[in-house]
Order: sequence, then structure tokens, then C-alpha cells
Amino acid sequence: MLPENITLVVGRNERWSGAAATEPVEAGWAREAVIFVRALKAPKGEQPVARVEISPDGMRWVAEGTQAPMPSLKDGVAVMRVKHFGNWLRVAADYRPDSECTVLVTVHLKA
Amino acid sequence: MTSNVQTNDLAEAMRLALLRADPKLSRFDPLPRIISHDSFSTGHCGWSQLVGNYENDLDTMLPGYAQHTSAMLSTLPHWDAGSHGGMGSSYALKIATRPRKGAQNVAIKRHTFRHRGKIRFEVYFTFKPEATELKLSETDVRSVGFLFDLQSGDKDADGQRVMPHLRFLNALDGQHVQKWQFKRRTTELKPIGDSDKTLSHYHLSPEDWEDLPGGAQRLCYNEIPTKINWTYLAFDFDLDEMKALSLRCNDRTFDMSDFESIRIPAMKNLWCMLNFCLFAETDADKRAFLYVDSVCISGDF
Repeated sequence: MLPENITLVVGRNERWSGAAATEPVEAGWAREAVIFVRALKAPKGEQPVARVEISPDGMRWVAEGTQAPMPSLKDGVAVMRVKHFGNWLRVAADYRPDSECTVLVTVHLKA
Repeated sequence: MTSNVQTNDLAEAMRLALLRADPKLSRFDPLPRIISHDSFSTGHCGWSQLVGNYENDLDTMLPGYAQHTSAMLSTLPHWDAGSHGGMGSSYALKIATRPRKGAQNVAIKRHTFRHRGKIRFEVYFTFKPEATELKLSETDVRSVGFLFDLQSGDKDADGQRVMPHLRFLNALDGQHVQKWQFKRRTTELKPIGDSDKTLSHYHLSPEDWEDLPGGAQRLCYNEIPTKINWTYLAFDFDLDEMKALSLRCNDRTFDMSDFESIRIPAMKNLWCMLNFCLFAETDADKRAFLYVDSVCISGDF
């Protein structure tokens, strides 16, 4: 049997501002994850650095260490790749009060 | 004649013997043809995110659909006891809402049908709220349920789109209700974009759910939010008459004589559609999780 792989859309047309994060994803079966964050609209204001977060329980989150600058232009794409994440994954970014970005976040998992 | 009857009886006896000897199928009562048998240790099995319709701009998507996210493969991991696992493997399909009262999420499997006859939808499922509190939390999940999205063939007179809906209303506004409900009305069909090609309607809106007569049922919830038990459900539907035939859940069989589906005129591009949806709703500002161990969809053809 071919190894499982899947594309999950975890945030679609979501306006990120303030303390933003995707919904939690369980991906314990996967050996690797590639996460793309695309700016669907022209980002406003200074764009933060997005970070991958992992969790023991899907409720308490810690930075995994992988990060990428959020795109500064419409249709720009940020990419984060992680290999050791246990089970839980999410992407988070902290925005200044005058900044925002409308995003499409996809998680690509492979066994 | 007698010989044919004996042959048919023998074939059915052999079919049942083979089914019952298969540990993965033995827990189901499938009709003669298995259309799909989904065990989530083998992947997502085609259960994908129900995405709303749109045209030119994602902002045209109705808000009820915009909230949906992808289903995932879960070991039912809990902060206090570790992974619970499924019935026959470590994995189950997980459909999770956002943490906002009334939020919903839907997973869908899209087929078409080749025969107008009886189909059976069997599921082993369970549900829980996210264990954010050290409390029983038995009224935090509003409902879990399923629906079919069906449409007649392209040559049928008076073609219809038919959508049987059933949900187990676990709780509403903090009251532990525990009963089965169905829906015969949907929201108004709205044009999406301006090309006259796409419509959308939010058929899982909170309004218009009706009680299934005799549909009160107390399911096994267990005693803390991180203990789960698997529940069996079977729903029979006739694609010829477009009529529900029976609903079974664990030891109970429900009278479906008052059940009705949502019925709307046939749409332009959905002929012979045979879609299956599973959904969860939360009644608190807390994620609700519907877990599905396995699904067997079968037909009498």
C-alpha cells in the first residue's frame, strides 16, 4: 500500500490580526509536514514572523522553532517544514494593532 | 424454482459466513454490495472537508460553510490518559468544530449511485468536547449527526434533490436533551456570484429541526470528558422511492414513518448524486469532536 499523504485546509479566507493561530491539527501518523500560508489579499501593515507550534494535548502550545516571515504581498507564500512534532501542530503569528493578513493555510502531511 | 431458492439461500448463507469471519466487517450488517468500507487506519478514505460554493471571490461563501476545516486522523489522545485509540486500530476520523458556541464542522464523502434501491449507512462513532475543564462537560456538545445529499437521475421526470438529515441533539443551551431530530426545511437558495451558475443554501442552519417521534435516547457518555465509548448507528434509505426506511442506534430501532427529508428542485449539475456527510456542533465556547471509528456503506443490488 502506498504511504498515506494528505492536504488539509486548516484556515481558508481567515483574517489574521492580533494573536492569530490555526485550529489544532492532529498529525501523529505523519513523518513530515509542510505548511504553506498564502496571503489571499494584500497584507496591511507590518507583517510578523509566523511560527510552528506543537503541543502535548492540543490545548497548551509551545514554539517548535521553525518560523517564516509572513508574506508582504498578495499571493505571497510563507513555507514552514517540520519533521519532529509528535501529534499536534498549528501555525501562529502575532500582529501589531494596525496590521492584518487574510490567509489560506494548508498542511501537507506524509507518512 | 426450488433449486433457485436453495441456491439463493446458500449464496446468502455463504455471504453471511464470510462477513462474520472477517473481523473488520463482522461488526457491520452490510447489504449484498459493499460500496465502501472505511477504516481510518488506512487513511481518510475520501472523507473530505465540506467546502461551500463560491464564485470569483471566497468572500461569496456562506458563513456556515466558511467555518469548516478538514477532518483529521486521530488516536483520540487525552491529556490525562494518553491515546484512547479506535475499535480495531489506533485511528479514527475526527471532525472538530471551532471553540465558539454554535460552531459546526462537516466531513463529506462524494459518490454517485448506479442503482435505485436500498442503501445502508453504518457507523461506529463517539463524541466529546475538548477537555479544557476538569468537569463532566456532558452538555458542551450540542449535536452530532449525518445527512445524505441525493439527486435523481438526469432523465427522471420531476427531478428532485433530496437531503435526509438526522442529528442526535445531545444538549441545547446547557440542557441535556438527548434525542434524535430530523429536518425537512432548508434556508433560501441564494445565488453565488453573478453568472447564474451557482446557488448555495445553508441546510445545517440551527432552525427547523423537528423531533423524531419516540426519538429520545440516552447514549453512553461515560464519567469524565476523556473517556469514550463507541456507539453503533445504521440508517437505511431507499434511492428508488427517496424515502428513509429505518434508523438503528445501539439497541434501539426508531419509527421513521413521520420522517421527511429536505426536498428541493433538482439542480443543474448534480445528477445521481450520492453524498454522505457527518457533522458536529458545539453548544459551548469549546471545541466539539465527532470521532468515527469506521463506516460501511452498502447497497442492495
